[in-house]
Amino acid sequence: MSRYNAIISGFPMLEVMVRECKRLLARPVYLCTLVFAPIFAFIFFTTLMRDGLPTEIPAGVVDEDNSAVTRKLIRTLDAFQMTKLKHFPNVVEARNEMQRSKIHAFYVIPRYTTQKALSSRQPNLSFYTNATFLIPASLEFRDMKMMSELASGGIGRETLYAKGFTEKQAMGLLQPIKIEMHPIGNPLLNYSVYLCNILLPGVLFLLIMQTTIYAIYVEMKEETSKEWLAVAKGNIHKALLGKLLPYIAINIVMGLFALVLLYGVWDFPLNCNIWNMILAMFLLILAAQSFGVFLCGLVPSIRWALSLATLLGVLSFPISGFSFPLHAFPAAFKALANIFPMRHYFLIYVDQALNGLPIYYSWVNFAALIAFQILPLLLIHRLHKFLLTAKYTH
Amino acid sequence: MKGLHNIIEIFVRELHRTLFDEGVLVFFLIVPIIYPVLYSFLYGNEVVREVPTVVVDNCNSQLSREFLRKVDATHDVKIVGHCADMREAVELIHRRKAYGLIYIPREFEKRIIDFQQSTIEVYSDMSGILYYKAVYSSCTDVSLAMNKEIKAQRMPGATEQQISTFQYPIEYKYTPLFNTQSGFATFMIPGILMLVVQQTMLLGVGMLAGDERENRRKGIYFDYLVNKYPIEIITGKSLAYFMFYMLMSVYLCCIVPQLFGLIHIWKWKELLILMISYVAACTFFCITLSFAAHDREVFIILFIFMSVPLIFMSGISWPTCAMPKFWRCFAWLFPSTFGVKGFLKVNNMGVSMPEVFRDIWSLWLQIAGYFTLAYIVCKRTYSKKY
Repeated sequence: MSRYNAIISGFPMLEVMVRECKRLLARPVYLCTLVFAPIFAFIFFTTLMRDGLPTEIPAGVVDEDNSAVTRKLIRTLDAFQMTKLKHFPNVVEARNEMQRSKIHAFYVIPRYTTQKALSSRQPNLSFYTNATFLIPASLEFRDMKMMSELASGGIGRETLYAKGFTEKQAMGLLQPIKIEMHPIGNPLLNYSVYLCNILLPGVLFLLIMQTTIYAIYVEMKEETSKEWLAVAKGNIHKALLGKLLPYIAINIVMGLFALVLLYGVWDFPLNCNIWNMILAMFLLILAAQSFGVFLCGLVPSIRWALSLATLLGVLSFPISGFSFPLHAFPAAFKALANIFPMRHYFLIYVDQALNGLPIYYSWVNFAALIAFQILPLLLIHRLHKFLLTAKYTH
Repeated sequence: MKGLHNIIEIFVRELHRTLFDEGVLVFFLIVPIIYPVLYSFLYGNEVVREVPTVVVDNCNSQLSREFLRKVDATHDVKIVGHCADMREAVELIHRRKAYGLIYIPREFEKRIIDFQQSTIEVYSDMSGILYYKAVYSSCTDVSLAMNKEIKAQRMPGATEQQISTFQYPIEYKYTPLFNTQSGFATFMIPGILMLVVQQTMLLGVGMLAGDERENRRKGIYFDYLVNKYPIEIITGKSLAYFMFYMLMSVYLCCIVPQLFGLIHIWKWKELLILMISYVAACTFFCITLSFAAHDREVFIILFIFMSVPLIFMSGISWPTCAMPKFWRCFAWLFPSTFGVKGFLKVNNMGVSMPEVFRDIWSLWLQIAGYFTLAYIVCKRTYSKKY
């Protein structure tokens, strides 16, 4: 042991690292936020949305007509992948079930529908969705609309066939213009791809930033910061780097784990070289550390630094624009988004992994992520002063 | 009588500690006030309008131009450029100048004149599902409307009714309920409001408990907790947090929706019963967990990230019916699961008691469970040295 100490004693940074590793292992909280929390979140999100697109969403149907024709209609709707139908005797009960959130949409076929359809008196079908639950409601909407179009088209087609038209001619008559939709990069409209690609790194970003701040300021709180700096021979750069390197190592392992889960285990679209995403993840992790150090230098209080980190970390999710697109945000936030590393990570993911563009399309975002690494240098001397003088207060 | 006196003493002193601790106030007061405002502001536009779209019109006929003009006129799509070929158009999408692309083939009009089916191809950038939705629904709606006109022209002399019957032998009508414009804020904000209650309370209560722990390590004991029964401590403390958050709830449930014009069609009775149950469940949940607080700040780094999984567990985003069974049961551990769901029903859909009964009943099960747990840990903590 003494020989070992002798070896590292010449290298203050190594000494700080060894000291930090001991501290790290001594407290379960570090293990929780560095390892357990990210793993929990990663597994949670990817397994929660393992279907990619929800199937068999319960929906209601009120069939007041109950004829062979309407039953066939209902069977068609039931056969759609998204929908699992439940019958209700009347609209009131269907609506009550909707308010109980057991179903998010229902279809109503009024009495005399068949009779009216056969005598060309245009019966009226109707359907209702509850977009309080946005995803299931929009999926149900699509199914029910398609099914309503089919119902009309079916009858129209039968009429034309009876008049001797071929199928091609009939379609040309019934639906002169047809829209063919091509979703670029995510043809199955997989929701898990959308959400997990940002949720996983986003949670990691938040946790890293908070843990960095906690690790630095716990020294101030427990009045060990002078000892820490002494180990580093008073050099703040060596002190910080030595302290953070063990964390960075663990964070990178976690970041790689996220990438393996996303692109290896769950096979999400990866149309670029995996190294591009590894680089982006690496820079994101470093940016999180940099933000942590920067916030420590900004406010000499563990509590305020953590609160600011929370604000930044939690806002990172909406402002990256992965669920609600950025261009629908108020103008002020559009500009603000550029200071969020998650925004740049998201754009890199879209260009690289999703759309497979050449890397020069993403150079601005990579440059921005690299630029965040300068942040700690701006306030490092201020932080040094805090660590030497400031006292922990409630 | 002594018991009641003790409870009141603990209640008053705990409230005093809460109000004069800057750190706790951040979570009890500032965060619950600011976050809902921030999110309402962010999602204030509710829906995505005018998605920039480029066009490759190889047909360039009167009909294709009419289609594009009509698509441009919809709320959701804005045509920002005409390109000579697909390469140019795709390049614009790659440069994020546009998120949608409409391609009209050369023989588009000719095919329609020939009574053949004509296809328009629409591409959308998939970085956001809402782009897809906007471009898809606009193009589909315009095509349906134009189909109707084209057919009308092909039936000279036919009456409006005849054309309509030919187009739609069976008509249909779509009615969105409760969130009529499929707005993002309407769907997201109520969940956030409820989550804020549980999460900020957890952080604040965790900080208070961590403070106690830190002091105890230094040998400082709070006199008002010495020689008290665990039941008195729990009752006193929970009353303090409960009262505080019932006041916050007034702000969250009544003022925020009013301020930002969000949906709020709750009825008094249901809202009151739900909030009492939810805040009470949160209180005992937080007290139970707070005994794990090693120091003042540790809960901040342990539990904030959980907000994101918790939103998903409540089922507002990813439907509950598509969740694996394990996570569905796991979600039952957290008051927010039922709180968010119950609040969506009461606030967004204006339900009466029977529809929200299950959620409230679940919250009371949690109250019983977490109260028992809180009692057990409290007895162990305070019997040792107090």
